[in-house]
Amino acid sequence: MKNLLIKELRLSAIPLTYIFLTFALMTFIPGYPILCGAFFFCLGVFQSYQNSREANDILYSVLLPVSKRDVVKGKYLAAVVLQMVAFLLCAACTIVRMVLLSDAAVYKANALMAANLVYLAFVLLIFAAFNFFFIGGFFKTSYGVGKPFIVFIVVNFVVIGIAEALHHLPGLGWTNVLGFSNTGVQLMILAAAVIIYAAATIISCQISQNRFEKIDL
Amino acid sequence: MNILSINDISKKYPGFKLENISFDVAKGTIMGLIGRNGAGKSTTLKAILNMVHADRGRVSYFDLDLKENERAIKQRIGFAGGEIDFYKKKKIKDILNITKRFYDDWDEELCIKYMKMFSLDENKTPSELSSGMKVKLNLVMALSHGAELLILDEPTSGLDPVSRDELLEIFKHLKKQGVTILFSTHITSDLEKCADDITYIRDGKMIYTGSISDFVGTGASLENVMIEQEREAFYEKFTD
Repeated sequence: MKNLLIKELRLSAIPLTYIFLTFALMTFIPGYPILCGAFFFCLGVFQSYQNSREANDILYSVLLPVSKRDVVKGKYLAAVVLQMVAFLLCAACTIVRMVLLSDAAVYKANALMAANLVYLAFVLLIFAAFNFFFIGGFFKTSYGVGKPFIVFIVVNFVVIGIAEALHHLPGLGWTNVLGFSNTGVQLMILAAAVIIYAAATIISCQISQNRFEKIDL
Repeated sequence: MNILSINDISKKYPGFKLENISFDVAKGTIMGLIGRNGAGKSTTLKAILNMVHADRGRVSYFDLDLKENERAIKQRIGFAGGEIDFYKKKKIKDILNITKRFYDDWDEELCIKYMKMFSLDENKTPSELSSGMKVKLNLVMALSHGAELLILDEPTSGLDPVSRDELLEIFKHLKKQGVTILFSTHITSDLEKCADDITYIRDGKMIYTGSISDFVGTGASLENVMIEQEREAFYEKFTD
Protein backbone atom coordinates (compact mmCIF):
# COMPACT_ATOMS: atom_id res chain seq x y z
CA MET A 1 0.00 0.00 0.00
CA LYS A 2 2.94 2.31 0.73
CA ASN A 3 4.16 1.87 -2.85
CA LEU A 4 0.73 2.63 -4.26
CA LEU A 5 0.54 5.75 -2.12
CA ILE A 6 3.96 6.88 -3.38
CA LYS A 7 2.84 6.13 -6.93
CA GLU A 8 -0.27 8.24 -6.44
CA LEU A 9 1.57 11.18 -4.90
CA ARG A 10 4.58 11.19 -7.22
CA LEU A 11 3.19 9.94 -10.53
CA SER A 12 -0.56 10.53 -10.56
CA ALA A 13 -0.81 13.82 -8.67
CA ILE A 14 0.06 16.89 -10.70
CA PRO A 15 1.88 19.97 -9.31
CA LEU A 16 -1.40 21.89 -9.45
CA THR A 17 -2.83 19.61 -6.75
CA TYR A 18 -0.04 20.61 -4.39
CA ILE A 19 -0.27 24.30 -5.36
CA PHE A 20 -4.01 24.18 -4.63
CA LEU A 21 -3.22 23.18 -1.03
CA THR A 22 -2.44 26.86 -0.53
CA PHE A 23 -6.15 27.61 -0.92
CA ALA A 24 -6.24 26.74 2.79
CA LEU A 25 -4.96 30.32 3.23
CA MET A 26 -8.41 31.50 2.12
CA THR A 27 -9.31 30.84 5.77
CA PHE A 28 -7.88 34.31 6.39
CA ILE A 29 -10.02 36.16 3.86
CA PRO A 30 -12.61 38.33 5.61
CA GLY A 31 -16.07 38.80 4.10
CA TYR A 32 -15.65 35.74 1.91
CA PRO A 33 -17.22 32.25 2.09
CA ILE A 34 -14.01 30.67 3.35
CA LEU A 35 -15.26 27.11 2.81
CA CYS A 36 -14.66 27.73 -0.90
CA GLY A 37 -10.97 27.14 -0.10
CA ALA A 38 -11.80 23.47 0.65
CA PHE A 39 -13.70 23.28 -2.63
CA PHE A 40 -10.78 24.74 -4.61
CA PHE A 41 -8.45 22.21 -3.00
CA CYS A 42 -10.81 19.43 -4.15
CA LEU A 43 -10.66 20.96 -7.63
CA GLY A 44 -6.89 20.35 -7.53
CA VAL A 45 -7.39 16.66 -6.71
CA PHE A 46 -9.99 16.45 -9.49
CA GLN A 47 -7.38 17.81 -11.92
CA SER A 48 -5.07 14.95 -10.90
CA TYR A 49 -7.81 12.45 -11.71
CA GLN A 50 -8.26 14.02 -15.13
CA ASN A 51 -4.53 13.92 -15.71
CA SER A 52 -4.11 10.32 -14.58
CA ARG A 53 -6.98 9.23 -16.80
CA GLU A 54 -5.19 10.73 -19.81
CA ALA A 55 -2.01 8.98 -18.65
CA ASN A 56 -3.70 5.53 -18.62
CA ASP A 57 -3.01 5.36 -14.90
CA ILE A 58 -5.71 2.78 -14.15
CA LEU A 59 -4.33 0.40 -16.77
CA TYR A 60 -0.78 0.98 -15.53
CA SER A 61 -1.90 0.32 -11.95
CA VAL A 62 -3.82 -2.90 -12.61
CA LEU A 63 -0.82 -4.34 -14.46
CA LEU A 64 1.36 -3.83 -11.38
CA PRO A 65 1.57 -6.74 -8.96
CA VAL A 66 -1.26 -5.46 -6.81
CA SER A 67 -4.91 -6.44 -6.56
CA LYS A 68 -7.63 -4.30 -8.09
CA ARG A 69 -8.98 -3.66 -4.60
CA ASP A 70 -5.60 -2.22 -3.60
CA VAL A 71 -5.59 0.08 -6.64
CA VAL A 72 -8.83 1.61 -5.36
CA LYS A 73 -7.57 1.78 -1.78
CA GLY A 74 -4.42 3.55 -2.97
CA LYS A 75 -6.50 6.24 -4.68
CA TYR A 76 -8.55 6.83 -1.52
CA LEU A 77 -5.47 6.81 0.68
CA ALA A 78 -3.78 9.44 -1.48
CA ALA A 79 -6.91 11.62 -1.33
CA VAL A 80 -7.05 11.24 2.45
CA VAL A 81 -3.35 12.13 2.87
CA LEU A 82 -3.75 15.26 0.71
CA GLN A 83 -6.98 16.17 2.50
CA MET A 84 -5.31 15.82 5.88
CA VAL A 85 -2.53 18.18 4.78
CA ALA A 86 -5.16 20.66 3.57
CA PHE A 87 -7.11 20.20 6.80
CA LEU A 88 -4.03 20.82 8.96
CA LEU A 89 -3.27 23.98 6.99
CA CYS A 90 -6.87 25.14 7.46
CA ALA A 91 -6.62 24.24 11.16
CA ALA A 92 -3.37 26.21 11.54
CA CYS A 93 -4.96 29.27 9.88
CA THR A 94 -8.07 28.83 12.06
CA ILE A 95 -6.02 28.71 15.24
CA VAL A 96 -4.19 31.90 14.21
CA ARG A 97 -7.54 33.57 13.62
CA MET A 98 -9.01 32.29 16.90
CA VAL A 99 -5.99 33.12 19.04
CA LEU A 100 -4.32 36.15 17.51
CA LEU A 101 -6.95 37.74 15.31
CA SER A 102 -10.19 37.23 17.28
CA ASP A 103 -10.41 40.94 18.00
CA ALA A 104 -9.50 42.08 14.48
CA ALA A 105 -12.08 44.56 13.21
CA VAL A 106 -12.30 42.96 9.75
CA TYR A 107 -13.35 39.66 11.27
CA LYS A 108 -15.73 41.22 13.79
CA ALA A 109 -17.56 42.96 10.97
CA ASN A 110 -17.65 39.74 8.95
CA ALA A 111 -21.18 38.76 7.93
CA LEU A 112 -20.04 35.41 6.64
CA MET A 113 -18.76 32.31 8.38
CA ALA A 114 -15.97 32.77 10.93
CA ALA A 115 -12.98 30.47 11.14
CA ASN A 116 -13.55 28.23 14.15
CA LEU A 117 -14.01 24.56 14.97
CA VAL A 118 -17.42 24.49 13.24
CA TYR A 119 -15.71 25.78 10.09
CA LEU A 120 -13.18 22.93 10.33
CA ALA A 121 -16.06 20.48 10.74
CA PHE A 122 -17.58 21.75 7.50
CA VAL A 123 -14.19 21.47 5.77
CA LEU A 124 -14.25 17.77 6.66
CA LEU A 125 -17.83 17.43 5.42
CA ILE A 126 -16.77 18.87 2.04
CA PHE A 127 -13.90 16.38 1.87
CA ALA A 128 -16.32 13.59 2.85
CA ALA A 129 -18.63 14.66 0.00
CA PHE A 130 -15.67 14.64 -2.41
CA ASN A 131 -14.66 11.13 -1.41
CA PHE A 132 -18.19 9.80 -1.47
CA PHE A 133 -19.61 11.49 -4.54
CA PHE A 134 -16.58 12.20 -6.72
CA ILE A 135 -14.17 9.32 -6.08
CA GLY A 136 -17.07 6.91 -5.53
CA GLY A 137 -18.66 8.13 -8.77
CA PHE A 138 -15.39 7.86 -10.66
CA PHE A 139 -15.14 4.15 -9.85
CA LYS A 140 -18.53 3.48 -11.40
CA THR A 141 -16.68 3.59 -14.72
CA SER A 142 -13.00 4.18 -13.79
CA TYR A 143 -12.77 6.81 -16.55
CA GLY A 144 -15.70 9.24 -16.22
CA VAL A 145 -14.76 12.26 -14.10
CA GLY A 146 -17.20 14.94 -15.33
CA LYS A 147 -20.52 13.64 -14.00
CA PRO A 148 -19.26 12.67 -10.53
CA PHE A 149 -17.55 16.04 -10.19
CA ILE A 150 -20.77 17.89 -11.09
CA VAL A 151 -22.62 15.85 -8.45
CA PHE A 152 -19.90 16.78 -5.95
CA ILE A 153 -20.11 20.49 -6.91
CA VAL A 154 -23.87 20.50 -6.21
CA VAL A 155 -23.45 18.74 -2.84
CA ASN A 156 -20.47 20.96 -1.99
CA PHE A 157 -22.39 24.19 -2.51
CA VAL A 158 -25.36 22.86 -0.56
CA VAL A 159 -22.95 22.16 2.32
CA ILE A 160 -21.41 25.65 2.00
CA GLY A 161 -24.92 27.17 1.85
CA ILE A 162 -25.95 25.33 5.03
CA ALA A 163 -22.73 26.38 6.78
CA GLU A 164 -23.17 30.01 5.82
CA ALA A 165 -26.88 30.04 6.76
CA LEU A 166 -26.52 28.18 10.05
CA HIS A 167 -25.33 31.08 12.25
CA HIS A 168 -28.13 33.30 10.98
CA LEU A 169 -30.75 30.91 12.36
CA PRO A 170 -32.23 31.73 15.78
CA GLY A 171 -30.23 30.13 18.59
CA LEU A 172 -27.33 29.06 16.39
CA GLY A 173 -25.30 32.26 16.48
CA TRP A 174 -22.72 30.44 18.63
CA THR A 175 -21.62 28.46 15.57
CA ASN A 176 -19.95 31.65 14.33
CA VAL A 177 -17.94 32.72 17.40
CA LEU A 178 -14.55 34.29 16.80
CA GLY A 179 -12.71 33.07 19.91
CA PHE A 180 -13.00 30.10 22.23
CA SER A 181 -16.50 30.43 23.66
CA ASN A 182 -18.72 27.36 23.21
CA THR A 183 -15.60 25.31 22.55
CA GLY A 184 -17.13 22.18 24.05
CA VAL A 185 -20.11 22.02 21.73
CA GLN A 186 -17.94 23.06 18.78
CA LEU A 187 -15.57 20.19 19.56
CA MET A 188 -18.55 17.82 19.55
CA ILE A 189 -19.55 19.07 16.11
CA LEU A 190 -15.97 18.63 14.90
CA ALA A 191 -15.89 15.09 16.34
CA ALA A 192 -19.18 14.29 14.57
CA ALA A 193 -17.67 15.60 11.31
CA VAL A 194 -14.59 13.41 11.81
CA ILE A 195 -16.88 10.37 12.21
CA ILE A 196 -18.93 11.33 9.13
CA TYR A 197 -15.72 11.90 7.12
CA ALA A 198 -14.25 8.55 8.14
CA ALA A 199 -17.51 6.67 7.56
CA ALA A 200 -18.17 8.30 4.15
CA THR A 201 -14.60 7.58 3.03
CA ILE A 202 -14.52 3.96 4.21
CA ILE A 203 -18.00 3.14 2.88
CA SER A 204 -17.25 4.82 -0.45
CA CYS A 205 -13.94 2.97 -0.70
CA GLN A 206 -15.63 -0.38 -0.12
CA ILE A 207 -18.36 0.36 -2.67
CA SER A 208 -15.70 1.47 -5.19
CA GLN A 209 -13.63 -1.67 -4.59
CA ASN A 210 -16.66 -3.84 -5.35
CA ARG A 211 -17.54 -1.77 -8.42
CA PHE A 212 -13.98 -1.76 -9.74
CA GLU A 213 -13.73 -5.54 -9.41
CA LYS A 214 -16.58 -5.85 -11.89
CA ILE A 215 -15.39 -3.26 -14.40
CA ASP A 216 -13.98 -4.50 -17.69
CA LEU A 217 -11.02 -2.34 -18.67
CA MET B 1 5.55 -27.64 -18.40
CA ASN B 2 2.83 -25.09 -19.13
CA ILE B 3 3.48 -21.53 -18.05
CA LEU B 4 -0.04 -20.45 -18.89
CA SER B 5 -3.25 -22.47 -19.16
CA ILE B 6 -6.52 -21.03 -20.36
CA ASN B 7 -9.55 -23.22 -19.89
CA ASP B 8 -12.92 -22.57 -21.43
CA ILE B 9 -12.87 -18.76 -21.26
CA SER B 10 -16.13 -17.16 -22.40
CA LYS B 11 -17.22 -13.56 -22.35
CA LYS B 12 -20.42 -12.08 -23.75
CA TYR B 13 -20.71 -8.45 -24.86
CA PRO B 14 -23.63 -6.87 -26.69
CA GLY B 15 -22.86 -7.82 -30.30
CA PHE B 16 -19.81 -10.00 -29.58
CA LYS B 17 -19.13 -13.29 -27.84
CA LEU B 18 -15.84 -14.88 -26.91
CA GLU B 19 -16.59 -18.57 -26.64
CA ASN B 20 -14.80 -21.45 -24.99
CA ILE B 21 -11.23 -20.33 -25.54
CA SER B 22 -8.78 -22.94 -24.24
CA PHE B 23 -5.06 -23.20 -24.88
CA ASP B 24 -1.76 -23.76 -23.12
CA VAL B 25 1.53 -21.93 -23.51
CA ALA B 26 4.56 -24.13 -22.85
CA LYS B 27 7.64 -22.84 -21.06
CA GLY B 28 10.31 -21.34 -23.30
CA THR B 29 8.11 -21.09 -26.39
CA ILE B 30 6.68 -18.23 -28.42
CA MET B 31 2.99 -18.42 -29.17
CA GLY B 32 1.15 -16.12 -31.54
CA LEU B 33 -2.47 -15.27 -30.98
CA ILE B 34 -3.82 -14.63 -34.45
CA GLY B 35 -7.06 -13.59 -36.05
CA ARG B 36 -8.36 -10.74 -38.13
CA ASN B 37 -9.26 -7.37 -36.60
CA GLY B 38 -12.12 -7.75 -34.15
CA ALA B 39 -11.72 -11.53 -33.85
CA GLY B 40 -11.29 -11.34 -30.07
CA LYS B 41 -7.51 -11.39 -29.61
CA SER B 42 -7.32 -8.35 -27.33
CA THR B 43 -10.36 -9.48 -25.33
CA THR B 44 -8.69 -12.85 -24.83
CA LEU B 45 -5.48 -11.18 -23.62
CA LYS B 46 -7.45 -8.89 -21.31
CA ALA B 47 -9.29 -11.88 -19.85
CA ILE B 48 -5.93 -13.59 -19.34
CA LEU B 49 -4.74 -10.51 -17.43
CA ASN B 50 -7.95 -10.19 -15.38
CA MET B 51 -8.66 -6.84 -17.02
CA VAL B 52 -11.99 -8.11 -18.27
CA HIS B 53 -14.04 -10.58 -16.28
CA ALA B 54 -14.78 -13.76 -18.10
CA ASP B 55 -18.30 -15.07 -17.64
CA ARG B 56 -16.86 -18.55 -17.45
CA GLY B 57 -13.53 -20.32 -17.47
CA ARG B 58 -10.26 -20.45 -15.60
CA VAL B 59 -6.84 -18.91 -16.16
CA SER B 60 -3.78 -20.28 -14.39
CA TYR B 61 -0.13 -19.32 -14.53
CA PHE B 62 2.65 -21.55 -13.21
CA ASP B 63 -0.14 -23.90 -12.01
CA LEU B 64 -1.54 -21.10 -9.86
CA ASP B 65 -5.09 -19.84 -10.29
CA LEU B 66 -5.07 -16.19 -11.43
CA LYS B 67 -7.96 -15.01 -9.27
CA GLU B 68 -6.46 -16.43 -6.10
CA ASN B 69 -2.82 -15.55 -6.81
CA GLU B 70 -3.03 -12.33 -8.82
CA ARG B 71 -0.27 -10.43 -7.00
CA ALA B 72 2.20 -13.33 -6.99
CA ILE B 73 1.55 -14.08 -10.66
CA LYS B 74 1.98 -10.45 -11.74
CA GLN B 75 5.41 -10.47 -10.11
CA ARG B 76 6.41 -13.09 -12.67
CA ILE B 77 4.82 -11.79 -15.86
CA GLY B 78 5.07 -8.68 -18.00
CA PHE B 79 2.62 -7.02 -20.36
CA ALA B 80 3.18 -4.63 -23.23
CA GLY B 81 0.61 -3.16 -25.56
CA GLY B 82 1.93 -1.85 -28.84
CA GLU B 83 0.05 1.43 -28.83
CA ILE B 84 -0.51 1.81 -25.11
CA ASP B 85 1.76 4.15 -23.23
CA PHE B 86 1.56 5.18 -19.62
CA TYR B 87 2.40 8.60 -18.30
CA LYS B 88 3.57 9.80 -21.68
CA LYS B 89 4.63 13.21 -20.31
CA LYS B 90 6.67 11.85 -17.40
CA LYS B 91 10.36 11.13 -17.71
CA ILE B 92 11.17 7.47 -18.22
CA LYS B 93 13.42 7.49 -15.16
CA ASP B 94 10.51 8.70 -13.00
CA ILE B 95 8.24 5.93 -14.33
CA LEU B 96 10.94 3.31 -13.77
CA ASN B 97 11.67 4.61 -10.26
CA ILE B 98 8.05 4.11 -9.27
CA THR B 99 7.54 0.84 -11.16
CA LYS B 100 10.55 -0.89 -9.60
CA ARG B 101 9.20 -0.37 -6.09
CA PHE B 102 6.46 -2.91 -6.79
CA TYR B 103 8.69 -5.81 -7.82
CA ASP B 104 10.54 -8.05 -5.38
CA ASP B 105 13.03 -9.20 -8.02
CA TRP B 106 13.74 -5.91 -9.78
CA ASP B 107 17.31 -5.98 -11.09
CA GLU B 108 18.63 -2.43 -11.53
CA GLU B 109 21.76 -3.57 -13.39
CA LEU B 110 19.63 -5.55 -15.81
CA CYS B 111 17.39 -2.53 -16.31
CA ILE B 112 20.38 -0.33 -17.16
CA LYS B 113 21.69 -3.05 -19.47
CA TYR B 114 18.40 -3.28 -21.42
CA MET B 115 18.02 0.52 -21.50
CA LYS B 116 21.44 0.70 -23.16
CA MET B 117 20.78 -2.29 -25.42
CA PHE B 118 17.53 -0.71 -26.67
CA SER B 119 19.13 2.78 -26.88
CA LEU B 120 16.54 4.24 -24.53
CA ASP B 121 17.28 7.59 -22.89
CA GLU B 122 15.88 7.71 -19.36
CA ASN B 123 15.53 11.49 -19.55
CA LYS B 124 13.07 11.26 -22.42
CA THR B 125 9.32 10.94 -21.99
CA PRO B 126 7.26 8.16 -23.66
CA SER B 127 5.64 10.83 -25.85
CA GLU B 128 9.07 11.42 -27.41
CA LEU B 129 9.45 7.75 -28.34
CA SER B 130 8.51 6.05 -31.59
CA SER B 131 6.03 3.12 -31.49
CA GLY B 132 8.88 0.62 -31.59
CA MET B 133 10.74 2.35 -28.77
CA LYS B 134 7.56 2.37 -26.66
CA VAL B 135 7.31 -1.41 -27.01
CA LYS B 136 10.98 -1.64 -26.03
CA LEU B 137 10.35 0.50 -22.94
CA ASN B 138 7.55 -1.86 -21.89
CA LEU B 139 9.91 -4.77 -22.50
CA VAL B 140 12.56 -3.14 -20.28
CA MET B 141 10.03 -2.82 -17.47
CA ALA B 142 8.96 -6.45 -17.89
CA LEU B 143 12.45 -7.89 -18.23
CA SER B 144 13.96 -5.91 -15.36
CA HIS B 145 11.77 -7.71 -12.88
CA GLY B 146 12.67 -11.04 -14.40
CA ALA B 147 9.34 -11.74 -16.07
CA GLU B 148 9.16 -15.39 -17.08
CA LEU B 149 6.24 -14.75 -19.40
CA LEU B 150 5.69 -11.74 -21.65
CA ILE B 151 2.18 -11.03 -22.88
CA LEU B 152 2.22 -8.58 -25.75
CA ASP B 153 -0.77 -7.09 -27.52
CA GLU B 154 0.00 -6.27 -31.16
CA PRO B 155 3.62 -5.34 -30.41
CA THR B 156 4.63 -5.15 -34.06
CA SER B 157 1.61 -3.22 -35.37
CA GLY B 158 2.53 0.16 -36.75
CA LEU B 159 6.25 -0.58 -36.83
CA ASP B 160 8.38 -0.20 -39.94
CA PRO B 161 9.83 -3.46 -41.37
CA VAL B 162 13.28 -2.86 -39.87
CA SER B 163 11.92 -2.17 -36.38
CA ARG B 164 9.63 -5.21 -36.67
CA ASP B 165 12.51 -7.41 -37.64
CA GLU B 166 14.59 -6.01 -34.80
CA LEU B 167 11.80 -6.73 -32.31
CA LEU B 168 11.38 -10.28 -33.57
CA GLU B 169 15.13 -10.82 -33.13
CA ILE B 170 14.75 -9.60 -29.55
CA PHE B 171 11.93 -12.12 -29.02
CA LYS B 172 14.15 -14.93 -30.33
CA HIS B 173 16.98 -13.77 -28.06
CA LEU B 174 14.63 -13.73 -25.05
CA LYS B 175 13.33 -17.18 -25.91
CA LYS B 176 16.89 -18.50 -25.85
CA GLN B 177 17.16 -17.07 -22.35
CA GLY B 178 14.11 -19.07 -21.29
CA VAL B 179 11.49 -16.31 -21.49
CA THR B 180 8.07 -17.44 -22.74
CA ILE B 181 6.19 -15.05 -25.03
CA LEU B 182 2.54 -14.85 -25.98
CA PHE B 183 1.75 -12.13 -28.46
CA SER B 184 -1.27 -11.19 -30.48
CA THR B 185 -0.85 -10.05 -34.03
CA HIS B 186 -2.54 -9.99 -37.39
CA ILE B 187 0.82 -9.84 -39.14
CA THR B 188 1.23 -13.56 -39.68
CA SER B 189 4.64 -13.26 -41.36
CA ASP B 190 6.03 -12.15 -37.99
CA LEU B 191 5.01 -15.47 -36.49
CA GLU B 192 6.71 -17.53 -39.17
CA LYS B 193 9.95 -15.81 -38.23
CA CYS B 194 9.86 -16.52 -34.52
CA ALA B 195 6.84 -18.41 -33.16
CA ASP B 196 6.55 -22.10 -32.29
CA ASP B 197 2.80 -22.26 -31.82
CA ILE B 198 -0.31 -20.34 -32.72
CA THR B 199 -3.80 -19.97 -31.37
CA TYR B 200 -6.19 -18.87 -34.08
CA ILE B 201 -9.40 -17.05 -33.17
CA ARG B 202 -12.23 -16.17 -35.52
CA ASP B 203 -15.42 -14.34 -34.48
CA GLY B 204 -14.68 -15.06 -30.83
CA LYS B 205 -14.27 -18.81 -31.38
CA MET B 206 -11.05 -20.76 -31.26
CA ILE B 207 -10.29 -22.34 -34.62
CA TYR B 208 -6.93 -23.89 -33.85
CA THR B 209 -4.24 -24.15 -31.21
CA GLY B 210 -0.97 -25.98 -31.75
CA SER B 211 2.21 -25.82 -33.75
CA ILE B 212 2.48 -23.62 -36.81
CA SER B 213 3.86 -26.44 -38.91
CA ASP B 214 0.87 -28.70 -38.19
CA PHE B 215 -1.51 -25.89 -39.11
CA VAL B 216 0.21 -24.78 -42.27
CA GLY B 217 1.50 -28.07 -43.61
CA THR B 218 4.34 -28.10 -46.07
CA GLY B 219 4.96 -25.56 -48.75
CA ALA B 220 2.28 -23.06 -47.75
CA SER B 221 2.58 -19.85 -45.79
CA LEU B 222 0.64 -19.09 -42.64
CA GLU B 223 -0.74 -15.96 -44.28
CA ASN B 224 -2.10 -17.87 -47.27
CA VAL B 225 -3.67 -20.59 -45.12
CA MET B 226 -5.26 -18.01 -42.85
CA ILE B 227 -6.58 -15.91 -45.75
CA GLU B 228 -7.98 -19.05 -47.39
CA GLN B 229 -9.76 -20.05 -44.19
CA GLU B 230 -11.11 -16.56 -43.59
CA ARG B 231 -12.33 -16.42 -47.19
CA GLU B 232 -14.16 -19.74 -46.82
CA ALA B 233 -15.71 -18.59 -43.57
CA PHE B 234 -16.80 -15.37 -45.24
CA TYR B 235 -18.43 -17.20 -48.15
CA GLU B 236 -20.19 -19.59 -45.77
CA LYS B 237 -21.61 -16.65 -43.87
CA PHE B 238 -22.46 -14.89 -47.13
CA THR B 239 -24.33 -17.83 -48.61
CA ASP B 240 -26.24 -18.65 -45.38
